[in-house]
Amino acid sequence: MLDKAILRLSGIRSLMGLLAGLDVLQAIFIIGQATMLSSAITGLWEGQSLGDQKVAILIFAICFASRHLITYIKDRKLDTFASEQSHTLRRKLLEKLFDAGPHIVQQQGSGNVITMALDGIGLVENYIHLILSKMINMSVTPWLILVVVFWFDWRSGLILLLVFPLIIIFMIILGYAAQAKADRQYKSYQVLSNHFLDSLRGIDTLRFFGLSKRYASSIFKTSEQFRKTTMSTLRIGILSTFALDFFTTLSIAIVAVFLGLRLLNGHILLFPALSILVLAPEYFLPVRNFASDYHATLDGKNAMQAIDRIINEPSIRGEQITIAPWNEHSTLELDNITVDYDGKQFLQPTSLQFKGMQKVGIIGMSGSGKSTLMNVLSGFLPIAQGSIRIDGKPVANLNQDAWRKQLAYIPQQPYIFEATLRDNIAFYTPDATDEQIMQAAHVVGLDDVIAELPQGLDTRIGNGSRALSGGQAQRVALARAYLDQERTVYIFDEPTAHLDIETELELKQRMVPLMEHHLVLFATHRLHWLRQMDTIVVLEHGKVVEVGAYEDLMARHGALYRLKHEMGSSIHE
Amino acid sequence: MNNIPLFQQLAHDSWVKPFFKQYRWTLALAIFLGFCTFFCAGALMFNSGYLISKSASLPENILLVYVPIVLTRAFGIGRPVFRYVERLVSHNWVLRMTSHLRVKLYKAVEQDAIFFKRKYRLGDVMGLLSEDINHIQNLYLRSIFPTLIAWLLYVVIVIGLGCFSLGYALLVALYFLLILLAMPLWSIIVNGARQSKEKTLKNDLYTDLTDNVLGIADWIFSQRGQEYVALHEQSQDKLSRVQSSMRKFNHLRDLLFQYAFGLLALLTLVWCSTQFIGNHGGAANWIAAFVLSIFPLVDAFAGLSAASQETNTYADSIERLNALPEETEEQTWHETPSQPLQFDIQDLTFRYETKDVLNHLSVTIHAGEKVAILGRSGSGKSTLASLLRGDLIPSDGTVLLGGVPVHHLQSTISQYIGVIQQEPYLFNTTILNNIRLGNEQASVEEVWDVLQRVGLKSMVEQLPDGLATIVDEAGLRFSGGERHRLALARILLQNTPIIILDEPTVGLDPITEQAVLHTFMHELQDKTLIWITHHLQGIEAVDRVLFIEDGQLEMQGSPEYLQATNPRYQRLKAIDDGE
Repeated sequence: MLDKAILRLSGIRSLMGLLAGLDVLQAIFIIGQATMLSSAITGLWEGQSLGDQKVAILIFAICFASRHLITYIKDRKLDTFASEQSHTLRRKLLEKLFDAGPHIVQQQGSGNVITMALDGIGLVENYIHLILSKMINMSVTPWLILVVVFWFDWRSGLILLLVFPLIIIFMIILGYAAQAKADRQYKSYQVLSNHFLDSLRGIDTLRFFGLSKRYASSIFKTSEQFRKTTMSTLRIGILSTFALDFFTTLSIAIVAVFLGLRLLNGHILLFPALSILVLAPEYFLPVRNFASDYHATLDGKNAMQAIDRIINEPSIRGEQITIAPWNEHSTLELDNITVDYDGKQFLQPTSLQFKGMQKVGIIGMSGSGKSTLMNVLSGFLPIAQGSIRIDGKPVANLNQDAWRKQLAYIPQQPYIFEATLRDNIAFYTPDATDEQIMQAAHVVGLDDVIAELPQGLDTRIGNGSRALSGGQAQRVALARAYLDQERTVYIFDEPTAHLDIETELELKQRMVPLMEHHLVLFATHRLHWLRQMDTIVVLEHGKVVEVGAYEDLMARHGALYRLKHEMGSSIHE
Repeated sequence: MNNIPLFQQLAHDSWVKPFFKQYRWTLALAIFLGFCTFFCAGALMFNSGYLISKSASLPENILLVYVPIVLTRAFGIGRPVFRYVERLVSHNWVLRMTSHLRVKLYKAVEQDAIFFKRKYRLGDVMGLLSEDINHIQNLYLRSIFPTLIAWLLYVVIVIGLGCFSLGYALLVALYFLLILLAMPLWSIIVNGARQSKEKTLKNDLYTDLTDNVLGIADWIFSQRGQEYVALHEQSQDKLSRVQSSMRKFNHLRDLLFQYAFGLLALLTLVWCSTQFIGNHGGAANWIAAFVLSIFPLVDAFAGLSAASQETNTYADSIERLNALPEETEEQTWHETPSQPLQFDIQDLTFRYETKDVLNHLSVTIHAGEKVAILGRSGSGKSTLASLLRGDLIPSDGTVLLGGVPVHHLQSTISQYIGVIQQEPYLFNTTILNNIRLGNEQASVEEVWDVLQRVGLKSMVEQLPDGLATIVDEAGLRFSGGERHRLALARILLQNTPIIILDEPTVGLDPITEQAVLHTFMHELQDKTLIWITHHLQGIEAVDRVLFIEDGQLEMQGSPEYLQATNPRYQRLKAIDDGE
């Protein structure tokens, strides 16, 4: 039942040995505690004085204290171990994330990844703690106790022994029954349980349709339906706990009754009978503990598997080569490359050459393969076929440190970190001086913004502090790129698509001069940018359909001409 | 007591306390059943101890042990049965409460829905609030119920002992207070500060990690990603230290708790040795009964300290819920706008936190007119839309629809104005239900008809479940353009004379945008249309363009007129045309 991932943890063998040793010791104390208590009670029952029981009481107290002290020691040991392990796991996960990049985050969802790194690791920590202590405890303690019970009275021992598999079998059968029932109701359960949140999120829509007031009764109705569904699942779901409870308490009752009857016949004496009665609940305690934490361990196990999957995801990072700083003569060639994802081809065989300080406009509508191409160029996606060459040197893909060091990537909504404006601008160049930063801010037109901020460059910006408008965020991203003179390749991915037209126009005036002396790869569907480009690449349905200068393509009346016409066509038609 | 966060929050609470009265008999039943569970557990050992001792004294008549034999079995079966029923009853009670709490939460949010969503646009406040209700469930199930059960058990134990010996009953009464009161209080006080520190650290880590995961691409380009990992580890270590000291305390407290019970067992043994004196039977038969019954009671009291400590974490939820606006009686006006349904905006000013978002704006929108409202983000154009629908109330001036102030129309406004938002919300239900939001009485034919009009009929026909397809399960099946078309379909069913389009095409590529706009304009041609937009694509379709800048009307006129006379308009139009 211990899964392999746990057994692979470093230092697990010696810890398990230690825990097993402590459990044996603990079982001895439990037995001592039970027999000494029984002995004292028997002594009193026989009419002896309390003083005669001093030794028994003292040993009882020592055993009792030691037994719980061992639990304390075990918990502390496990705390340390689990905390170390989760620490290692977290580091591996984060290193992987910040190495592989947005690919994994997009695939898993950013919320999911964050929950995994924070709460998920916590669950794993708990899991490691619980599973080790409970499993080992269950495989040591009951059996030592059982030996003693057999020694006192084999009939009672037999009852206890027979009940154990019965408990396990019933718990498994009922567990399956509950699972089957839950599976059957899963769909309606999901719908019902999400209904409330769904209504809250869409509450403004309900209001727009004048339904929001009346909808309160629907919420109550659905919630009550949810209650009924939950209760009907629960009735079966907690049956396995019931079975456990039932068999343990009933077997204690049966043992007590049997002992009573055999005492009547004089076949057994009070001391062994009492000892057995005290030991019986201790015999069942480990399995009850295990069952009560079963669900917590299940969550932890799933979290651990999910985290392991990410850590073990293969990296696309290939052999790293040295790449000269991008200059007038540098070339980047994509030769018949294709991109597959989830068995679907996102880019059909594509060949493109970029050379020197060209400005390349990449045009395409949603689904044209534009984003895929941008992801290949920034080194986040591997290619399935074809080849890529930088300055004639072949590389497996563009996940090359030497390439990325020269890149500035500016997406539709650049991310602004929750940090000072200075740190945000100097993100690529943490050592930049204030003059350099102010100069960069000036070039992109952030002067007014800085003047308005209460602490100037030292003002914290970002989502939680002071959110910037879309246009301002773009300017910060531009300043970032401008400040790092080594970044001579600019990749823009729809940088102005969501801006209002006047902001877009103002930003354009700042951007155009910055693009000089850079290789610019500019993906957009705002056609007015194309006049600033040397070459236009038109993508449609994952394929390059046209390459050439703007005037030539327009004169040709091909794909670009058609696109422009479709966008500009009057809607009165 | 005043230092305990839960009690502070409960002092002025309308979310947890009032519900104790509702269904109070079920509540009492749940607590009674919980009591019975532990009572049976104790009684089983009590009875077994007595049975064995009595049997060992070899009574003449076997019938003397008959009653204990029957009782032993009864308690043995009683414990699991009571526990099972108790869990069902208590869960049922809590889920009933949840239904009421949800309605209460919904009503509180509904009053101010539009504003509420805008105020908390960034975080998932709705998710947070619905989580809060789950926290209250846990508060009931994991803290309040076990505590009440333990106190009930306490009272019964003390009274029961009182029947044998008043002195010992008093001693036990005081001793148990140590376990029932002192230990939980001690836990709350010692760990309370650690818990709040843990919470702060956790929140910081969460915000920090979120921030950096969202900006992960930049970390990769900067090639400083591992620097961040190291930084994160540092903050994580701080949290680990707090958590570890909390755990250490918990283990120590649990150890002391066990010792307290061990000592109680010894005390009981000593008391029994003086109380029940006998030789091979007689009164001495009670010794084993009393001593053995101590141990099962551990279960009833063991979780109390942890449970009361946990309440600290619920205090925030209760605070947040109590901070929601109370349900208020709205003033009602019962006014009806007169035809023609014309908007008269007179000297309209809207102030938000001392800033004039709209500043003395006056304009008239005629019935049937198509108006585009253009402006930069933050110019006040979306605020204007909310004012037009009466969701916001003007600081100064008036917005009249057919001669009536729009906010007097209250919920009847939905008979006059329909809205399509930037990101239309689709509910997690079937396509049919989503469209019928517009008109719940609409027949299936009518639904197909509007789908045809918005150009989605063939697409929906091809879905295996057709109209019965659940929207969310379709995942990304609905593209941005399709979502907008579905939103239009509901609006067409709603069939209001006035439609507000609030930047309905942001995020669509220009060709999709053009196609969607074309459908919108064509299908809404006989309505009054107020279209808020941030650029000029498709602008030729409107009768009049209003430019809003800094909360004021900067220029207005028909597209043809502006194109002919206004250089600024000409320039912007050229850009949008790709020149």
